[in-house]
Amino acid sequence: MTKNKRILTICLLIIFVLTLGGCGSNSNESKVVNEGKEPAKQVSDPKVEENEKILMDQLQPMPELKKGEKIGILVITLANPYWVTLKESYERAAKELGVNVEVMAAPNEGDTKSQLETLQAMTAKDYQGLIISPIEPYNLVPGVVSANKKGIKVVNLGPGINVDAVKEAGGKLDGRITVDFAEQGQRAAEYIVEKIGKDGGKVAIIQGIPGAGQSEGRTSGARKVFENTPGIELVSIQPGNWDRNTAYNITTNLLQAHPDIKGIFCCNDVMALAAADALVAAGKREGRIIFGVDFIDEAKEAIGTGKLDGSIAYSMDAYAKAGIILCLKTIQGMEVPKQVNSPLAVVTRENIQEYKNWH
Amino acid sequence: MSNQSIKPTIEIAHLSKSFGNIEALCDVSLEIYSGEILAIVGDNGAGKSTLIKILSGALTADQGQIIVGDKSYSSLSPGKAIGLGISTVYQDLALVDCRDVASNIFLGWEPVYAGFFVDKRKMQKEAGKILADLQINIPSLNTPVGLLSGGQRQGVAVARAILQGGKVIIFDEPTAAMGLQESAKVIKLLLKLREEGIAVIVISHNLHQVFEISDRICVMRHGRVAAICKTKESLPSQIVELIMGAPDKGACVAAGVYSDEAI
Amino acid sequence: MKQFNRFLLIWDQKFSQILLGLVLFTTVFLLSLASPFFMTWDNWRNILDQSALQVIIAVGMTFVICTGGIDLSVGSVTALSGVCMAAAMHAGVSVEMAVFGGIVAGAFVGMSNGLLVSRLNLNPFIVTLGTMAVARGVALIITKGIPIYGFSREFTWWGNGHIGPLNPPMLTAVFIALLGALVLNKTKLGYYTLALGGNEEALRRSGVAYKLYKLIVYTICGITAAIGGLVVTARLNTAEPLAGSMFELDAIAAVVLGGTDMKGGRGSITGTVTACLLLGVLRNGLTILSIPSYYQQLAIGVIILVAIIISELRLKNAPGHGNIIH
Repeated sequence: MTKNKRILTICLLIIFVLTLGGCGSNSNESKVVNEGKEPAKQVSDPKVEENEKILMDQLQPMPELKKGEKIGILVITLANPYWVTLKESYERAAKELGVNVEVMAAPNEGDTKSQLETLQAMTAKDYQGLIISPIEPYNLVPGVVSANKKGIKVVNLGPGINVDAVKEAGGKLDGRITVDFAEQGQRAAEYIVEKIGKDGGKVAIIQGIPGAGQSEGRTSGARKVFENTPGIELVSIQPGNWDRNTAYNITTNLLQAHPDIKGIFCCNDVMALAAADALVAAGKREGRIIFGVDFIDEAKEAIGTGKLDGSIAYSMDAYAKAGIILCLKTIQGMEVPKQVNSPLAVVTRENIQEYKNWH
Repeated sequence: MSNQSIKPTIEIAHLSKSFGNIEALCDVSLEIYSGEILAIVGDNGAGKSTLIKILSGALTADQGQIIVGDKSYSSLSPGKAIGLGISTVYQDLALVDCRDVASNIFLGWEPVYAGFFVDKRKMQKEAGKILADLQINIPSLNTPVGLLSGGQRQGVAVARAILQGGKVIIFDEPTAAMGLQESAKVIKLLLKLREEGIAVIVISHNLHQVFEISDRICVMRHGRVAAICKTKESLPSQIVELIMGAPDKGACVAAGVYSDEAI
Repeated sequence: MKQFNRFLLIWDQKFSQILLGLVLFTTVFLLSLASPFFMTWDNWRNILDQSALQVIIAVGMTFVICTGGIDLSVGSVTALSGVCMAAAMHAGVSVEMAVFGGIVAGAFVGMSNGLLVSRLNLNPFIVTLGTMAVARGVALIITKGIPIYGFSREFTWWGNGHIGPLNPPMLTAVFIALLGALVLNKTKLGYYTLALGGNEEALRRSGVAYKLYKLIVYTICGITAAIGGLVVTARLNTAEPLAGSMFELDAIAAVVLGGTDMKGGRGSITGTVTACLLLGVLRNGLTILSIPSYYQQLAIGVIILVAIIISELRLKNAPGHGNIIH
């Protein structure tokens, strides 16, 4: 071997050792154990407590806490502020409840294959329970079956996994907690309709990824309201794929095709903010209603400044906490309700002040 | 030693070829006989390489015919030419540098068994044999051809042309990059081929060699045949003048074929 | 002495593959030390399963890159073939015919690539960039942008079935890899594939129907991409028009990492397979160590860059690599 090759070989091996050695000692990044990063403490808020109470009532009796179980959590992606906020909520809740969690995600919002692969890798570890939120109803089914085989409890949070498909594949879900997506869409649409008033007008819906649970639910909920209100014309339903850029372009096209459009309901805040940006850029923001879902931090600010008209909120902290509690109940062999639902709040420009400390 | 009573192995009739505005060949006619070494000489750009590329099928003529046996062809493909028995050792050798010796020798006509699989063992055996026959020394047949010396690479290309077993073998500048020893080997080979009755066409800049081994010399200038001369009845100085363009019909008249206008 | 020289020559040719094998072994070793979950049969089954898809597509890509070309459309073809199969099955066509139809769709795109590259002499990068967009567009049109869900057990068996401890994707990958290696190394098609990359003009002058062979190679790539589409659609039980994005980059990365020369003429299926395994092990390892997904991109990108640099340095003076001094 020439000298050059030898040097390069050694360099490569060194890079490897460093990367893996470094990684090995930092693998506590998203674990919440007794030491480690402290997620920020939250100010207590009456609205949040109200929200939490409704959730906790569904979960009585409480499981035993502070027993240090290991729970794996799979969200959709950490490139979307919604899931990042949820991750922080999970970690806070885990600390409070005295359990260990690790939050993983697929690299991209739409990458169904790698989300499944991540789940399968997680089933090879020693988690006692998993809380999973699939990108689509079907993509995680094989992973659920693998988890069942190893006796790991599986709780589905948020977007739904298709229960029939799981049954057909010979598996089962141990618990389910979600928000009522249809209700989210419905209440958003009701606000839009109310604001538009008696004169009526044109509205549009920008969906998420078609076929995904939250997207379908919210779209159908909003659609029912729009279609059943006289004077309201639903001119377009387009897939925004939860993507800012896509939603921006859809909005500019909508303005071209329907310059008199009065209201746009977007299936999440990320897209709603992009739609608002598009309208502002075109100088056409005035007199139109833009509504989102999720109430992420950026949305909270935007509603405060009037850029966004409103969003549907539910307490992420309470939601995450309830998810973990539900998972603990399944691990400890307790009985659980068929589905746990998180209550909703409609946050608008009118009542935004009350939600300043929402988390 | 007139060959006019014997039928030519290949007859080239009125070939013309242009590349855009450049007339590379203009109305070229030539006869090629077996058991003879025909040298094609000419200055750079005279059209020698173009002519033999048309013969070998690498290029197609715009006009003219190539007559082999009783059949007349207005164009040939490389496969067709090889099928008709015309093998070529190109100036750039047309070797695949990253592949080994045997693969190159059998490029395009690999022996197969069971219909699909290349018979590597047979290839290597035959390759070894022909290289030994030609006295070309290549220590390992697995060497990628790009790593061999110029002489060895030439040897591989020659081996390929010979094994293709044709009646005509064309050599484009066979000794251009070689030393004396290797050149001598090539000369010996060309003579041997002639003895075996193969029609040998050699393009060469080396008049000394041309006079040493060829039977006829075809001088090309500006895309035309300036003269076709019998080697024994010509002098090097005359050939040089023909290449450069001075009139000296002299010995060429006896060969019976020359073109007026170009001279 | 001669024997030793010959040994060195072979060693040099196989250098990159041996190095790659060593790197794979070292990575596996280090990961097994870093986490107790890594070296379990469950986890390895995951790694093999996940690498299987990449192997299938990368084998076809190896052939194309060996001719000195490239095929950027494989990701779109994966989606398109999955969508065709799904649409067919939902329209009542039998599973066998639907799968066949999807593979034909992939072969069709491959053939189009091959014709444009071989007959019109267009640059493969540009051509396949175009067909990549066209195939993606057709997939979106067929599905109207909405993924097609839910297929029969018979179909999803191709992604999730069991054959003893293994499953169909793994076995398909093994079959395709073996077939690919056999063809590339031992058949005329393989010889000509390498010759096309090494010196296409020489092949032409040897009277070979080289355009036909080029066409065949691109068609093979389309077919393997379509088989990849079968596996991914069956496994996820969904045909997404947007599936397969970045698959072409993964495939190219695996081929180059595996020691195949992008200028053509030199290639190895074994190298490609080893590279796929290495990338699979890396991705899995990062998840097992709970490293956030953003680091995955970085780590894999760095590995690939290093591999390309080493490969280029090694091949700098290799015969046929484009800088002959003769």
